[in-house]
Amino acid sequence: MSFLAPLLLLGLPLALLPIAIHLIHMRRRRRVMWAATMFLKAAQRMNKGFSKLRQYLILAFRMLAVAAIVFVVGRPLAGGLLGLTGGAPATVIVLLDRSASMEQQLLATGVSKRAAALQNLTAAINEAYGDRSKITLIDSATLQPVVLESVDALPDLPQAGPSDTAADIPSLMQAALDYITTNQTGRTDVWIVSDLRRSDWNEGGGRWQALRAGFSSLDSVRFQVLAYPEAPENGLGIAVERVVRRETAGKAELLLDAQLFRSGPGEDLADVTVPVRVIVNGAVSTIEVPLKGREALLQSQAIPIDLNTKRGWGRVEIPADPSPSDNVFHFVFDDPPPLKSTIVSDASEVFLPLQAALQAPADPTRSYACQVLPPGRAAEIVWEETALVVWQAPIPAGDSVIAAQLGAHVRAGRGLILLPPEEPGDAAFDGIRWTAWQSARPNEPVLVDWWRDDSGLLSSTRAGRALPVGEIKVRRWCGIEGETIPLARLGEAAEEATLLAQATHESGTAAYFLSTLPGAGTSSLARDGVVLFALLHRALNEGAESLGNALQRTAARDALGDAPASWRQLESGDGDGQSLSFELPLQAGVLQREAAAPDQPGVLVALNRPPGEDAPQSLGKVELDELFDGLDWRLLERSLENEKSLASEVWRIFLLLMGAALLFEALLCLPARPEKAEIDWKGEKA
Amino acid sequence: MSADHSFLDNRVLSRLLGLPLNARQPMMGSVSGRHRSPVRGSSVEFAQYRKYVPGDDTRRLDWRTWGRSDRYYIKEFEADTNLRLALIVDASGSMGYGEAGNTRLDYGRKLAGTLAYLAAQQGDAAGLWGVGKDHRQKIPAKRGATHLRLILDQLSLIEARGETTVLESLHEAAEQVSQRALVLVVSDFFVEPAELKHALEHLKFRRHDVALFHLLDPAELKFDFDRPARFVDMEDGETMMVDPALIARRYREVVKTYLADIDEIIRTTGADYHRITLETPYDDVLAKFLLARLQSKGRR
Repeated sequence: MSFLAPLLLLGLPLALLPIAIHLIHMRRRRRVMWAATMFLKAAQRMNKGFSKLRQYLILAFRMLAVAAIVFVVGRPLAGGLLGLTGGAPATVIVLLDRSASMEQQLLATGVSKRAAALQNLTAAINEAYGDRSKITLIDSATLQPVVLESVDALPDLPQAGPSDTAADIPSLMQAALDYITTNQTGRTDVWIVSDLRRSDWNEGGGRWQALRAGFSSLDSVRFQVLAYPEAPENGLGIAVERVVRRETAGKAELLLDAQLFRSGPGEDLADVTVPVRVIVNGAVSTIEVPLKGREALLQSQAIPIDLNTKRGWGRVEIPADPSPSDNVFHFVFDDPPPLKSTIVSDASEVFLPLQAALQAPADPTRSYACQVLPPGRAAEIVWEETALVVWQAPIPAGDSVIAAQLGAHVRAGRGLILLPPEEPGDAAFDGIRWTAWQSARPNEPVLVDWWRDDSGLLSSTRAGRALPVGEIKVRRWCGIEGETIPLARLGEAAEEATLLAQATHESGTAAYFLSTLPGAGTSSLARDGVVLFALLHRALNEGAESLGNALQRTAARDALGDAPASWRQLESGDGDGQSLSFELPLQAGVLQREAAAPDQPGVLVALNRPPGEDAPQSLGKVELDELFDGLDWRLLERSLENEKSLASEVWRIFLLLMGAALLFEALLCLPARPEKAEIDWKGEKA
Repeated sequence: MSADHSFLDNRVLSRLLGLPLNARQPMMGSVSGRHRSPVRGSSVEFAQYRKYVPGDDTRRLDWRTWGRSDRYYIKEFEADTNLRLALIVDASGSMGYGEAGNTRLDYGRKLAGTLAYLAAQQGDAAGLWGVGKDHRQKIPAKRGATHLRLILDQLSLIEARGETTVLESLHEAAEQVSQRALVLVVSDFFVEPAELKHALEHLKFRRHDVALFHLLDPAELKFDFDRPARFVDMEDGETMMVDPALIARRYREVVKTYLADIDEIIRTTGADYHRITLETPYDDVLAKFLLARLQSKGRR
């Protein structure tokens, strides 16, 4: 319990006043000279127990009433369960989820979850801790600790503002752990402000265990999770999946693939028609899109543009709803670059099917090129133009130039698929290495037992049809050692060996390890070419996204590379185009970087929210219990509709307590109902 | 110093003089009087014949009976004697209860003084025991105007103070009052009923005619207080903090039980009991007392 006016609690000894008055009253009571004391004593003896108890109860209630008055004037605060009371900690670390989904707002007030949480938290810290604690903010977008002079500055900090990024809560926790251990913060309260989106919390990730171990070793760290898990009700969202410029018969148009979706509870969703506005280089066109069920797809929606407009940018918009961050999607367009790939292999039975697949035009509007280089000529790779490298050769040593070039290629967002060489070697790429070749029994090839079909290279088609991965027969495979995310596994006959794995780099980019080869004696990948074709072209398209002069990226602190200041914002999510330079990669919009030479076009980038922000699933208490297992933590759920203060004054409770005490005291003091004495005055002989 | 005999009211005395103070049983007086005696005497009232035994006074032989039956019979007559009145007045502190000039002791003084006067007027002997813990006046029963004055003087000087010794005084009277007497006790009897019973049985064993004047104040019975007060015991000065609202019901229960016990004691001991509230005029009390005794004059 804490108080806004704790000094007034010095008046608590006043609660003894009823006892003092009682003692004085006892001394000043009327004296009655009494003869029949033998009756009095007998009556007292018979009534002693209740009489004493009643007297003590009366005194206790009077003391309680006085104490309640003192507490009322001391302005008590509720919030003990939140750890807001019981003394201020040395440090308060606010871990702020700045993900796009935190901008969900109540339309009536226009207040977002993030803003409401910050206001609430600021008021609570102000009331409960005052300026006794050091306040540090770490936000999910920058992961940089910011020490605040005063908690009042919290809602106005740029680092606490809206962003269109995703939040990586484990990274946020790691940043807090690093801060605590580095700065020896003493008793620390860590407030996590989040909407508990699963995509942000990544509860299945391997980092939580290390985080739990790290925090468990610290003393005096408490976690308070201030959560706004409420999903938007029938919130609409839109995302553009592809924009292609096409020229036909003297006119030009943009072909737009987009997905319109809505979230919210319930199955019986009414059919609606959503006006989708498409703004290209300032020209607005509106498309009425009927939405039945949860989503609707716009396939190759043609948007006419000027014939001379070879490149440009635009956005699609839908009407405002409680979740504004998914109402706009920015895009850029330009002549698409050729989809160049390089195969590093000297085994023709391997590279020939690969080359055939990579040269086949999956998209007739684009040009494809694939070169094959033996491992010794890998230095000839034109890295700036290559969208995908397929490496079927020993992994280069970690200190070699080619290894560094491969690493840079992956970190730049381009594609890399590693296939096992006949002699695997000891070298590793990002800590992952090939082990040894394994073989299935003769004439008993191993089938794929499991593969991830919701995302990744083997995901189902947009029409929802699964790739025939289960038909692939594998006769030889090479083991993979290191921390990877499996995308496909072989059956029990191969002891569930990994067929395809994703190695995610810290920057978020990924390299893929395919543990078998397309050759006839190794697997049926080449013969059942659908899977190989889809896998290669998806990796190629992924890698090509970072090529060319019109790039489509998700907002993140490294979305603009190392020099965000070199970018100029052409269009922003809120339309004002005036973000601070370090905020540029965090906000949705369109940005341009001028070319090095005047005759070259600059690079356009459209930044948008990450796709995970469109998934409204959130964590529940059970999952949080598991994530914080062994740690001192509390969950405090709030909603925008029913916003309650974290620390509220509770003087009314004490006032009620006082009233109740006085009432009971009055009841106990009520004189007994007068009785008619029925005594025979006259005795035996009247 | 001339004692104050204002507790004697001439009007009351003249009203009551016509009513004799009788004993309910034969008395053993020292001289001839108006009260029956358990022994045969020389009055004119025939009692019985009995056979002559050697040693009898031959003057009391009934010759006419000898002439008719040729047997010797002695003719006996009733003996009349005087009454010995032992007045025991409780002088404990509790007897001082009441308004000044109208206390329980004042009331008792009027009762005792008037009865002493009436006894003296009909030639009976009267004595006085004024009893308190640290004071005791004991005047043996005698006849005569001078003795009456002495008793009245003592009555006027008695003060209510200290703890009660009425029980000890009753036992003492049972032992010390010689021969049968009328023992008349004026008290509030704030004692244990069982002990009172024991004392009364002691007096009865000694064949005394016992009369009790139980003086109670209505306030003591009703206990009609509304606010907590500090009650001070008038006998030992002990203080008690009492909330009447809490204990009034219990108090009345205790009083009721006490009075019921007293009634039971009176039934078993046969004492002449008079429960008197102080608001009752004392001459009415005495008139009733004397009239009742007139109807039950002592048998031999």
